Amino acid sequence: MKKRKTVFVEGPISPSFIANSIEKHQTKTTIGAHDIFLGQVRADEINGKIVQAIDYSAYAEMAEEKFHEIRENTFSKYDLTCMHIYHSLGKVKAGEICLFVFVSAPHRKVAFEALEFLVEEIKKNVPVFGKEIFEDETHVWKVNKV
Amino acid sequence: MELKVLYFGMIAEATNRKEETISLELGSNVNQLQNLLKDKYKNLQHLSFKVSVDKEISSSEVLLNPNNEIALLPPFSGG
Repeated sequence: MKKRKTVFVEGPISPSFIANSIEKHQTKTTIGAHDIFLGQVRADEINGKIVQAIDYSAYAEMAEEKFHEIRENTFSKYDLTCMHIYHSLGKVKAGEICLFVFVSAPHRKVAFEALEFLVEEIKKNVPVFGKEIFEDETHVWKVNKV
Repeated sequence: MELKVLYFGMIAEATNRKEETISLELGSNVNQLQNLLKDKYKNLQHLSFKVSVDKEISSSEVLLNPNNEIALLPPFSGG
């Protein structure tokens, strides 16, 4: 069993945090392939108004349990060396990163497949709710496309 | 029995609260709770949501007990 990790971070995920994560893996020399997914907030136009930011909230205890289950399932399904998931809570502006999923494996194919599986599972099963905020402070609630 | 119910996202907005205690007859199921809440908060009738019992999405026949943590979850939109 891998130890349980906290996924949520307050605010956007910075590019330097991502660069640091990559650097930390340079000592793990059984790894031959990394694959990374970055979710970025889109400035969608909805009914003539442009999204400025998404304010994320979550049912945190359930979400952490789901993240844990998804991690365990992915590790049992794919031969990965390691896996990291970070998701923002609170306000993330358009253009900033709200989801960072990082998988590493000896070879590329496993990394590609595991990453897609992971991201789809997260979108489908983790109780996170995004409020899309417009410039005039009004908002709509985002719904993930299947 | 007294049940603790949590609300999230657009559901919390519709009920104007994040949690509350609901009284329901002993032996009630998820469906009965849903009906009571839709009656109490008319705008829930137009919203899509799932009910979780102890952090698992549950079907409407699941029986409830006072120790359960119940939540009304609108569509997920992580990532």
